[in-house]
Amino acid sequence: MKPPFLDRAASGPATDTRDAGDFSALLQTRGLHQTYDPSAGRGPIGGASAVPGQTQATTILAFKFADGVLVAGDRRATAGNTVVYDRADKVLEIDRHSVMAIAGVPATAWEMARVLEHSFQYYRRTQLQEMSVGGKVRALSKLLRDNFGFVMQGVGVVVPLFATYDNGPANEAKLYFYDVMGANFEVAEYAATGSGSPAVRGVLYYENTWGAKPLHEYTLEESLRITLRALDTAAEADTATGGVDRHGRIFPVIKIIHAKGITTIEDDTMRGLFNAGRLNGPQPLSAGVPMG
Amino acid sequence: MIEEPFRFVEAIANRREYIETQIASGSPIVALNYGGGVLLCTLGRERQKIFEVYDRIAMGAIGHPGDIERLRMTAIELASTEGFTRSAGDVSLRRMANYSISPALKAAFEQIYGAPYLARVLFVELGAEASQNTFLRVDYDGSIQTNGTPFTKSRTEFAVLGGTRASAELMERFLKEKHHGGATLKDALDVALDAWTVGYLALDASEDEAETMPAEDKIRDTRKEQLAHATVEAAILEQGAASHITFRSVTEEELRPLLGDNA
Repeated sequence: MKPPFLDRAASGPATDTRDAGDFSALLQTRGLHQTYDPSAGRGPIGGASAVPGQTQATTILAFKFADGVLVAGDRRATAGNTVVYDRADKVLEIDRHSVMAIAGVPATAWEMARVLEHSFQYYRRTQLQEMSVGGKVRALSKLLRDNFGFVMQGVGVVVPLFATYDNGPANEAKLYFYDVMGANFEVAEYAATGSGSPAVRGVLYYENTWGAKPLHEYTLEESLRITLRALDTAAEADTATGGVDRHGRIFPVIKIIHAKGITTIEDDTMRGLFNAGRLNGPQPLSAGVPMG
Repeated sequence: MIEEPFRFVEAIANRREYIETQIASGSPIVALNYGGGVLLCTLGRERQKIFEVYDRIAMGAIGHPGDIERLRMTAIELASTEGFTRSAGDVSLRRMANYSISPALKAAFEQIYGAPYLARVLFVELGAEASQNTFLRVDYDGSIQTNGTPFTKSRTEFAVLGGTRASAELMERFLKEKHHGGATLKDALDVALDAWTVGYLALDASEDEAETMPAEDKIRDTRKEQLAHATVEAAILEQGAASHITFRSVTEEELRPLLGDNA
């Protein structure tokens, strides 16, 4: 068989630069990535619960603190009432400076992350420059929009968070959340999505507004502590959120995006911080660690 | 013209001569193992010549920029789609070169009414350990030279790309003598630049001269002279890099102390 690119190579240098560096377009041309085809005429088959066996991943949060952006997610994936997996990774590194966190259907989300990761690398390698933050944010928007047909059919809902570091003149961490149609919203302080997010938002709002200092002034240690507590709080009432599982020693995934790249927080660090808290820590209740 | 076999042979020979002349003045490229991975290095004036192809694959090329660009795009496209549909571990330089790039080059070269690629490419793939690093050279006619075949007795630890055969051979001879795989980046860069100079001198030399190794002080002087008005372009594939992406360009700030007083 003729190698697929030969047609193009034989036709001489590409004269159409519209697709230059666009990995999604390349996948479409090669037929390597399926997106929903609206012309197929399939209507909605129900709400988001139409497919009861669908695996869902829940509760992710992110906020800006003194060193950059913290992105965290619990580890539980559920389908209906069933816990499918207790070690799911919902906080995914896309490139050296970008992290995508997912709430929703992992099947769709992980594929999106894969396309996104390859898109950024492909662009960087072919165009010999980094994609701009705006370009990256838009790329995820487009993937969500391409997926919207599936969402209308009641499958594959994904609501991601996207955090990246802008090394340009702005030189600051950026945080965005998305809706299912692909609208992107830049976040000034904090964001949370997924089934446990109301509780998380409660905790973060409270701390940010009424706590000793706003979240953006938090040190790393303070940020990690509030994150663990917020996820634990979310898991208290929401069965779909794993929180912090002390018995199974399963800790959330927490990543920090800062000027130099991405740091993943070790389980041991989280265990130490969590145990030093008021809940089941070695200290008496009255000696709780004050925030701030 | 093609109905007559001897005319075909003649046409191919003409074409070969034409391409060789076009490529002949290209600034040599040197790739070699060092303690931390593989170093690729050249001297240039106007355009980038060393590129990242995929997580563990780099390329350097001499020839026409337009043709190099087409080959570069092809390589990145092949590697990226393979890495996406299967996994990064399935991206293999050997497969890419043998099944896709070489046939395309050969086809373009022999279709004598079409334009051939005026380019010579050196690919490097970082293996799991230094002894598995692959150096692979693809020529404009699709022929492949590599250390990466399983039946090779001893894998060479370097590869060069020269505008002429004599230039490449002399550089290889030089490296066989001076290079060792465990060198520091500083020493590796030093040897690479000397090798580059040897190759560069051979480009201008007459046929007989190009076969004799230049004297050490001649190498040193020429190198100094060239470094004065050309820039060093260097990149490394880093063994044991923190990320799965092992390629990185060696920045100007990093180069300066490495070159030291040798510059």
